[in-house]
Amino acid sequence: MKHTDCALIIGGNPAANHPISMRHLQKARDERGAKLLSVDPRYTHTSSKSDLYAQLRSGTDIAFMGGLINYAIENGLYHEEYVKHYTNASFLVTDDYAFDEGIFSGYDEGDRSYDNSQWVFQTDDEGNILKDESLSDPRCVFQLLKKHFSRYDIDTVISITGTSKEDFIEVAETFCGTADPNKTGTIMYAMGTTQHTKGSQNVRSYAIIQLLLGNVGRPGGGVNAMRGECNVQGSTDFALLFHLMPGYLSAPNASENHRNLEAYKAAETPSGGYWENTPNFLVSLLKAYYGDKATSENDFGYDYFPKGRRNYSHISLFEAMFDGEIKGMFTWGQNPVVGGPNSRKEKKAMENLDWFVSIDLWETETAAFWTEQSGADPTNIDTEVFMLPACGPYEKEGTVSNSGRWMQYRYQAIEPKNDARSDAWIVHNLANRIKKLYEGENNPVAEPIQALSWDFGQGDYPEIDLIAREINGYDLKTGRTVESFAVLKDDGSTSCGNWIYSGFYPDAGPGEEKNLSKRRDDEDTGMDNYLNWSYAWPLNRRVLYNRASADPQGNPWASDKEAIWWDASQSSWVGHDVPDFGADVDPNSEGGTDAFIMRGYGKASLYSADGMTDGPFPEHYEPYESPISDNPFSKVDLNPAVKIWDGKMNDRGSVSEYPIVATNYRLTEHWQSGSMTRNQEWVSELMPYMFIEMSEELAEEKGISERDKVVVESARGSIEAYAMVTKRFKPFKVKGKKVHQIGMPWHYGYQGIATGEIANVLTPHIGDANTMIPEYKAFLCDVRRANS
Amino acid sequence: MTTYSKLVDVTVCTGCRACMVACKNWNDLPVETQAYSGGYQSHEKPTGKTWNVLQMKEHETANGGFEWLYRHSACYHCADAACEKVCPEGAITYGEFGSVDIDQEACVGCSYCVYNCPFDIVELADYVTEDGDVRQRAQKCTLCEDRLQEGLQPSCVDTCPLDAIVFGEREEMLKLAEERLEKAKQFFPNAQIYNPPGVGGTKMFYVLADKPSVYGLPENPEVPTSAVLWKDIAQPAGKALLGVTMMGVLTGYVTNKLFNKGEHHEEGGEVDESKHG
Amino acid sequence: MMELSRRQFLKLSGATAATLAVVELGFDPKKAQAESNEFKIAHSEVTPTICPYCSVGCGILVHVKDGDVVYTEGDPDHPINRGTLCPKGNGIRQLYTSEKRVERPKYRAPGSTEWEEVDWDWALGRIAENVKKTRDESFVVEEDGMTVNHTEAIANLGGAALENEEVYMIQKLMRGLGLTYIEHQARI
Repeated sequence: MKHTDCALIIGGNPAANHPISMRHLQKARDERGAKLLSVDPRYTHTSSKSDLYAQLRSGTDIAFMGGLINYAIENGLYHEEYVKHYTNASFLVTDDYAFDEGIFSGYDEGDRSYDNSQWVFQTDDEGNILKDESLSDPRCVFQLLKKHFSRYDIDTVISITGTSKEDFIEVAETFCGTADPNKTGTIMYAMGTTQHTKGSQNVRSYAIIQLLLGNVGRPGGGVNAMRGECNVQGSTDFALLFHLMPGYLSAPNASENHRNLEAYKAAETPSGGYWENTPNFLVSLLKAYYGDKATSENDFGYDYFPKGRRNYSHISLFEAMFDGEIKGMFTWGQNPVVGGPNSRKEKKAMENLDWFVSIDLWETETAAFWTEQSGADPTNIDTEVFMLPACGPYEKEGTVSNSGRWMQYRYQAIEPKNDARSDAWIVHNLANRIKKLYEGENNPVAEPIQALSWDFGQGDYPEIDLIAREINGYDLKTGRTVESFAVLKDDGSTSCGNWIYSGFYPDAGPGEEKNLSKRRDDEDTGMDNYLNWSYAWPLNRRVLYNRASADPQGNPWASDKEAIWWDASQSSWVGHDVPDFGADVDPNSEGGTDAFIMRGYGKASLYSADGMTDGPFPEHYEPYESPISDNPFSKVDLNPAVKIWDGKMNDRGSVSEYPIVATNYRLTEHWQSGSMTRNQEWVSELMPYMFIEMSEELAEEKGISERDKVVVESARGSIEAYAMVTKRFKPFKVKGKKVHQIGMPWHYGYQGIATGEIANVLTPHIGDANTMIPEYKAFLCDVRRANS
Repeated sequence: MTTYSKLVDVTVCTGCRACMVACKNWNDLPVETQAYSGGYQSHEKPTGKTWNVLQMKEHETANGGFEWLYRHSACYHCADAACEKVCPEGAITYGEFGSVDIDQEACVGCSYCVYNCPFDIVELADYVTEDGDVRQRAQKCTLCEDRLQEGLQPSCVDTCPLDAIVFGEREEMLKLAEERLEKAKQFFPNAQIYNPPGVGGTKMFYVLADKPSVYGLPENPEVPTSAVLWKDIAQPAGKALLGVTMMGVLTGYVTNKLFNKGEHHEEGGEVDESKHG
Repeated sequence: MMELSRRQFLKLSGATAATLAVVELGFDPKKAQAESNEFKIAHSEVTPTICPYCSVGCGILVHVKDGDVVYTEGDPDHPINRGTLCPKGNGIRQLYTSEKRVERPKYRAPGSTEWEEVDWDWALGRIAENVKKTRDESFVVEEDGMTVNHTEAIANLGGAALENEEVYMIQKLMRGLGLTYIEHQARI
């Protein structure tokens, strides 16, 4: 960030939620005169420190970015050489691909889903993709992109984003100015981007503009997700998600494609790109899971893995629980009664559980879902509830991975408070007990859990070092840890719990300690990379795709933006970072400009042929609940590929009843569902009350005065909170009519020191077409003064 | 002799309030949750239990622009401090790092300093004596003098992510303020340094984004004349003539007559910042 | 000239100097007495940690003295934050000192209106039995001629604030048991 010339901050508020990131942006400002652009529905702490604030109605990111993409192409403000060599701009797409009136080809209306086989590239007989290096063929990606976004002219864009024309043009001019190879621009986003029915395509739209401007893989560039939890990177890497296994391998599902190990390998191993190694990673993972029980005779225990048969994401989970299908649940530091969408429904769903285990430092709203204080009738709730006290972050040891993929070690500073235990201790003892209960049983139900290897020491506490070695992977013959994932095998001779982390604990014999996440050399090894501080996966690379920081010949695009470069005398890539590229691959050789090594064809995707469920290009659709009924871009209002949940307690609001757009967000002083911070005095004192932010204009229309209590109501429920009347919210002008928007923090609940009503009572069960991330950031409501 | 100062450049502050928590954390201060302010601001002003407060203000500029202004508000550590002048017990002194110190053991909780602070900073709060008794004593920011003695920075300085709060030799701070001002003017044309001479200059001084009155600050605060009379003329004379004990008896009567709260209140400016988040 | 190097912090730990009477305020008289006349972190044990909140990954030093956390501050050597912190990060001392921490395992029986305190042994034993019962009743070994080995009757949520080693173990156990409902904060 320090090396950027322009930061476009959209869908995020780093000054409030990632305050330390502003330190680095301030340096870019002081040292390079970098510009900060803040695009948001309301004027935030970040806006207050930006060169320009541009207003954007919630849920219109793609319109805004589409406008930028169009502006860049129309005005020739793109980095042509970068686009030609590092993206799939020149690829030719088959004639099956089409886009008409908001719908891409291959759409099945009944299923609300696409068949993406109609979006593929043209190939020759050997399967090589056909290209037009001149970028002029009407079927090449660049021309299709240009055509798709030509509809996003400034006037149409601002008619629905509500941005003023001057502000839009200033953002476009400033940010597209980074197409200059001497400059880089970065996009910083957070949940304001992802929590929409088209959240994934919002991010795609950012990636497309950044690729056009040549800003990916370069210092001061990138599309930076500012993530919300200290180890949300790690917990995703380790696949606490239904659709993944550690290291981003697909979780097996009950389809022919995954019927057995051979089928899985065939389906999941592409030709080209690093995923060619999938069999090595998978078999090594199976060895980590099942140890001696994983043999070549039994497909290395592949069948023991659960195969799913549908989507099991958060909303699906609570819908199934509401329908009585789920009997037991564990939550580890998660509080869905506050943090889940349509939280009243999720809380109600929990009443159907036979048993529930909350592992947390605090008695959260979720742990207390059955209490009278929560509004429930305990005598009618038959759930057994267990509250297990977990210890705090410095009462135990282990690693966490930040959003830059730095895996950093936390040491234990003090013994766990009272009778608290670490989550590691809890899961370790639980596993041992469960396995003991299955001892001696001889049936197919018992077999998978009996086969699970659980070898983390004989003590009461599991040995963190043994877990670390299992994650890194080791050679089963020598017992030495592997140096990197490059040596993992698919013949059962290596074991590895998560291939992307392989290398943080390299080449250590049994009993020899070598945990690189503990490194503390704070010397800048060049361009703020700090290569000897902790460890970054993969293989200590700090900037992914850093091959793109150099031009096709291997020289840095700009002298003050060096990351790695080709040193012909050494026949090697050298520089400030570990090359995220074949270290000895000559730029002029075959594949020498395939900077995006994880893609099968080595190029970044302006056009996503197979990555998305809802179209190869982003397209603007309105939120599930929208204040307008006439989307100017097409006749389709809602993303046609989202799953619509019907059923009880999840009504959809209409603009006639609920005319006001609402969004929610976080505050500097509180964290997530608030259980960590609302139980602490100093931060609670700074933000003690739940409030609703609204414009002076709306307050006046509704007869609301500063500090009044107000009621906000959506189709799901209503809450009461203080009014915060502010100049930082302004009504939007959308298609010529005035649209009000309000906002509120979602941190509050009925437990703890600082209490308040739960914002997520208002939000619906509806999620993104790709990820099922709920649409928290744009829904409809009405506001009135509370009767006092 | 080297003198020191704390510079607060509000033009780079993001309003995160780390300074408020750092202060409570280092100084083991209790909470005092206040009523809902109508905005993001948590406390109206610094108190005896909350030694610094991040004040916020929504401000529409003359040319129609909009700014959300922040100001870390704490003891100014005046070079010519009214509180020091009015203290009948001599409990308030100047520390070696530029702080105005209140000796908690010597303070009797008379409140004269409270009434005479031109910035409305110092207040009485609970103090536990070495014998475990709870007494009301005048309290405020100490500039973390204990940390300075150990070669550390004040806790608010150490924690500030934007280096909006810095501490060092006064000459360097004055120079730095000029540099910061130059940069600030690109974004805030009315930016200026606030280091009022009427109180001898303050050891905590600002680069402000706008005129002091926009922040509700007195344009030119002064040590009240009555305080000067009391400290520099009446008190020494009295002590010489009547002896210390007798002087203490008279103190309550005389001082209450001399100093009425309100005398120091600033002219102009909008005081109630807490209303606007 | 005053030396203001932030790196002094680590050197300072364990120093015996007691140079200044610390003004202690009223809410904990016992502590005030014990610590008066001594520099607050003079004898503290300093341990580096990583902030438990957002994913920027700032370094924090935890000062422990007499079995209590007496101060938390930014790690001056950490390349990301260089000793600075936001208010949440600064206040992580109260993650330990908060009176609101759950002290020991608790159990709420079906239909009951209140918690009862239980010991770990009983709680884990009972949970393990519940897991086995639900799993055994709901487990599907084969479906449509394909081995699926799953249970859709148990859900596992959470983990974004846990450590890598912990989430590795949790997902390993839960997948080992055959769960398909494995989700956490990254989804929401």
